[in-house]
Amino acid sequence: MSDDTRSGDDGGNFDKARRKFLRGLGIGTAVTAAQPAWGGQTFQDAFADFFQTDYRRMSTDEIEAALKRIESKALSRYGVEIDCQNTPPQPGVVYGYAINISRCQGYRDCVHACVKENNLGRDSQMQYIRVLEMDQGDFNLEHSDHYYDPETVPVEGKYYLPVQCMQCDDPPCVKACPVQATWMEPDGIVVVDYDWCIGCRYCMAACPYWARHFNWTIPEIPAQEMNTNTHYLGNRPRPRGVVEKCHFCIHRTRKGLQPACMEACPTGARIFGNLLDPDSEMRYVLANKQVFRLKEDLGTDPKFWYYND
Amino acid sequence: MSMSRPDYRGVGNKIARTLLVALLFCSALLSAMAQESAEPSQALRFEGYPNAPEVSVLPRKDDLFFYPCDQCHESMEPNPAVRPLNAMHDSALEHGRGRIWCLSCHDLENRNFLTTLLHELVDFDEAYLVCGGCHANRHRDWSFGAHGKRVANWQGERTVYNCTHCHDPHKPAITARAPKPAPPVRAGLKLKRGTNHEASPSWESHQNQEDPHEELEEQ
Repeated sequence: MSDDTRSGDDGGNFDKARRKFLRGLGIGTAVTAAQPAWGGQTFQDAFADFFQTDYRRMSTDEIEAALKRIESKALSRYGVEIDCQNTPPQPGVVYGYAINISRCQGYRDCVHACVKENNLGRDSQMQYIRVLEMDQGDFNLEHSDHYYDPETVPVEGKYYLPVQCMQCDDPPCVKACPVQATWMEPDGIVVVDYDWCIGCRYCMAACPYWARHFNWTIPEIPAQEMNTNTHYLGNRPRPRGVVEKCHFCIHRTRKGLQPACMEACPTGARIFGNLLDPDSEMRYVLANKQVFRLKEDLGTDPKFWYYND
Repeated sequence: MSMSRPDYRGVGNKIARTLLVALLFCSALLSAMAQESAEPSQALRFEGYPNAPEVSVLPRKDDLFFYPCDQCHESMEPNPAVRPLNAMHDSALEHGRGRIWCLSCHDLENRNFLTTLLHELVDFDEAYLVCGGCHANRHRDWSFGAHGKRVANWQGERTVYNCTHCHDPHKPAITARAPKPAPPVRAGLKLKRGTNHEASPSWESHQNQEDPHEELEEQ
């Protein structure tokens, strides 16, 4: 190599450049070969993923195929066999949520149950629920603190206000989405098609409740902690760079189970049920308690109430 | 004009008064009849709230360390005297601030049962019937689902925690507990605390204010 440069003629310089180019090509090929082809998928799967359309325009067969692809992708990414379903909404059901803030003690059990249930990355900053620590005698959300970390809760002079997606009946996030990747399902849950989302985050700007979150990283989840019960519109493994939110545990609630946050709450402060059923717990709360909603004056009509007793 | 007309006001009053007396008499008669016909013992028994959803309550007896209480109390002489307790049971009853004591809830003769205010025997698994005697509002909310913890599903058959699962009946105050970890602070951001939060309450500025009337009086 040094001999060539010493010769000084044009042919030697050309030779050097050619070798450098070839070496670069070789390294490039080696790097490409080290990564799994098509992102760990077969060529057909990657091809079908690319041409997959909006959830609401897919035929039943196309959705079935998409669910299979999600399952195989999860197997290659996490080494876990998940069950991705497409449970439809129940007829005659619209979900509502209520929180008894005089019962909430600020334990954050709901937050961590949600992280586990929805396969959120353990080291990422994303959490669907925030528990706000509020000062007694003050209802200014700007004065609240969600990073509180005392030795024991509740702290004297404080009370706790959990916030998450309010599942608005007139959701501003849906109006803001330029590609219609988010919408309200017939049972009142505002969902996101993670494969259709372009990650523009307009919905996050439109949401007055801090309920939408952008996933900056592919979630890192230990294989044994992976929740294998998933739903296309809910807690299935998501691609990076899309917006996520609370979906009232769509994979659980559509089968009659409580959302994970309610199941985890040790105080019974969380009430969930069917707003269309006059005998439901939700309707009892609405009829017998003095309820309020956050930022109700914005006209978003949240299906998430708070009450004291 | 008013002078020439006969005054009917007094007549009207008289008629109204007679009617009122007659009405009162009738209602008294009716209520007396009603009292005679209904058996008071049946009318007084609490049989749950009408229209309350059917729920199954999680059993409680398996969790009780000393149950069945007869194990010891069978050989002990029942002593109804109100006295400070010691030995097996926690001597302090931190419930009711001295307005209740053991036999307000526990039956003296049948140790394996609780008792209501009307001295009905109640199983330990149905402790909510005892609690509801005083905490009727809570019991009503619990029956309809606005208070208490429901388990597993929101649809179909509901299962509920008993009152005594969450509230120790001898010391019902909920004790403080450590919270789960706080959310991480966004990468690149620094946690600023005590800026808005911990803001002094609005009345604090009034506390050290001088009374303007004092100045006026001095002048």
